Amino acid sequence: MSAAAAAGSLVSLSVEEIARRIQAGEASAIEVLEDSLARTAEVEPEVGAFLELWADEARERAAQIDARIAAGESVGSLAGVPLALKDNLSLVGHTPGCASRILEGYIAPYTATAVERLLAAGAVPIGRANMDEFAMGSSCENSGYQVTRNPWDLARVPGGSSGGPAAAVAAGGVPLSFGSDTGGSIRQPAALSGIVGFKPTYGRVSRHGLVAFASSTDQIGPLARSVRDAAVGYAVIAGPDARDSTCSERLVENPLLGIEDGIRGLRIGSLKEVDASGLAPANARCWYESLERLARAGAEIVEVSVPSLAAAIAVYYVIATCEASANLARFDGIRYGRRAAGAASLGETYIRSRSEGFGAEVKRRIMLGTFALSSGYYDAYYGRARAVLETMRRQLDAAFTRCDLLVTPTSPTGAFRIGERSDDPLAMYLSDIYTTPASLVGLPALALPAGLDEDGMPLSLQITGRPFAEAQVFRAGRAFEAAGEWRVAPTFRNRAKDREGVPVR
Amino acid sequence: MALTIEDVRKIATLSRLRFDPEEEERFAGQLGKIVGYIDQLHGFAGTIEPERSPGLPERADAVVPGLPRERFLANAPEARDGFLVVAEVKPSETEGS
Repeated sequence: MSAAAAAGSLVSLSVEEIARRIQAGEASAIEVLEDSLARTAEVEPEVGAFLELWADEARERAAQIDARIAAGESVGSLAGVPLALKDNLSLVGHTPGCASRILEGYIAPYTATAVERLLAAGAVPIGRANMDEFAMGSSCENSGYQVTRNPWDLARVPGGSSGGPAAAVAAGGVPLSFGSDTGGSIRQPAALSGIVGFKPTYGRVSRHGLVAFASSTDQIGPLARSVRDAAVGYAVIAGPDARDSTCSERLVENPLLGIEDGIRGLRIGSLKEVDASGLAPANARCWYESLERLARAGAEIVEVSVPSLAAAIAVYYVIATCEASANLARFDGIRYGRRAAGAASLGETYIRSRSEGFGAEVKRRIMLGTFALSSGYYDAYYGRARAVLETMRRQLDAAFTRCDLLVTPTSPTGAFRIGERSDDPLAMYLSDIYTTPASLVGLPALALPAGLDEDGMPLSLQITGRPFAEAQVFRAGRAFEAAGEWRVAPTFRNRAKDREGVPVR
Repeated sequence: MALTIEDVRKIATLSRLRFDPEEEERFAGQLGKIVGYIDQLHGFAGTIEPERSPGLPERADAVVPGLPRERFLANAPEARDGFLVVAEVKPSETEGS
């Protein structure tokens, strides 16, 4: 199980090249799929990225794509591209289980708009990938089913909550996966797993069929090995949808047009509040090197200030938990999912189904949100958080009058060890400092590899744009990527046989 | 602010959750620490503004087909004759407690 073993395989090619070869008849969708399934089978016992594989259905889908191409049809930009879906994206007939026991047995009666578009573009989903339960977590340790391990170092977390989609890509089984990002849940695992992750502008991608966590910030986006691959995946899912009333009707700009045009002349804001002393030494070094790399690529670096950054985590953990406490009220054992046996009354059914079905972190967040919305505390917490959010929005608007794009590290640290933060929820929350502002304000943000720390773990830069400036964000990301050297080459250190004293759940 | 065991019980009731004494203790500590962190919000400026309109068109006020009843009920833990089956609703449970 080495990175070299995957090199030269079909599934190690770029998304565009896979689709091109399949469309041109130089490779078949079945060949690519078998390659993906073989690589996944090889790494999965160590990594644990998937909750379920859909091999038979994927083979049928790949065979249909090959048949369509044989009949002279043009299939789409993801023709035959195998991919992983986070366990909160609905595909009819399958369980979107949110890695939660409370959704045991639930079968989606419809398909998410984003997933419909992926299928229409020729994609071949191979399975549902692990996550923190209901997307609540930054390590994937809060899954109700299994721990997913970081392909670079198997004793460490892949990040979260889209830890499964991130690990599936980083381990080489699929070139592309899709997750959801509410406060950093695509970008942070992409950062910790050494890949690219993108959260679109709020309203750019339909949320129809995504199981809701915090509806005012949830967005679906791609995780991939390169900026171009992420842009291809994003372009497929973006666009208006009548089934999500918050989905914008604006036309989608093709992010691949001009993606190679570079960043000469762009003003890139470096955030003054990124306090190097709050970063691990390697992260601080990487941060300054990233700014130098952007400058070498021709960008003008300007310093901007968003003083309310320091409040981002507090604002986020009030607003997101308030929304979650309302959204998760629907899981009560009545209409779908798990129902506790033998409850003597309706009220007991609710309480016991929820108490048995939800894990500790989900309960903590429901409790926190319920508290912040409760009589006597609403103004002091929810109201206050909304007020500080408006301040943050104004400060970000002001920053964007001085620059075109804003950069920060994606995460203050590299991947931490499994179990290291699981007893301290607040310590876990603090890793979301740089990802929560773009979520709260609804801005597009790209996380991309920026280097390695002294332990050989990946570090990441985040590029944030103005609303609907996706194409510009991808162009800057591509320029940054092209100005450095990066290969997703997970090292698979600390395999099961080499680990001792690492808690395994 | 610190949270007491009583606070935790009250929030649990509102949340339709129940904890054993050991969990109540742990949650009081953890939530108290998190709320203590969140209290820093009071040191930041900001005024509450009316909810901003998202500026999106409204959907037509028209009847459209929803999920067929059978497909909806296929996920129900218990259903009979086209209805969900639930346990008895006790009078004490008919109002939010």
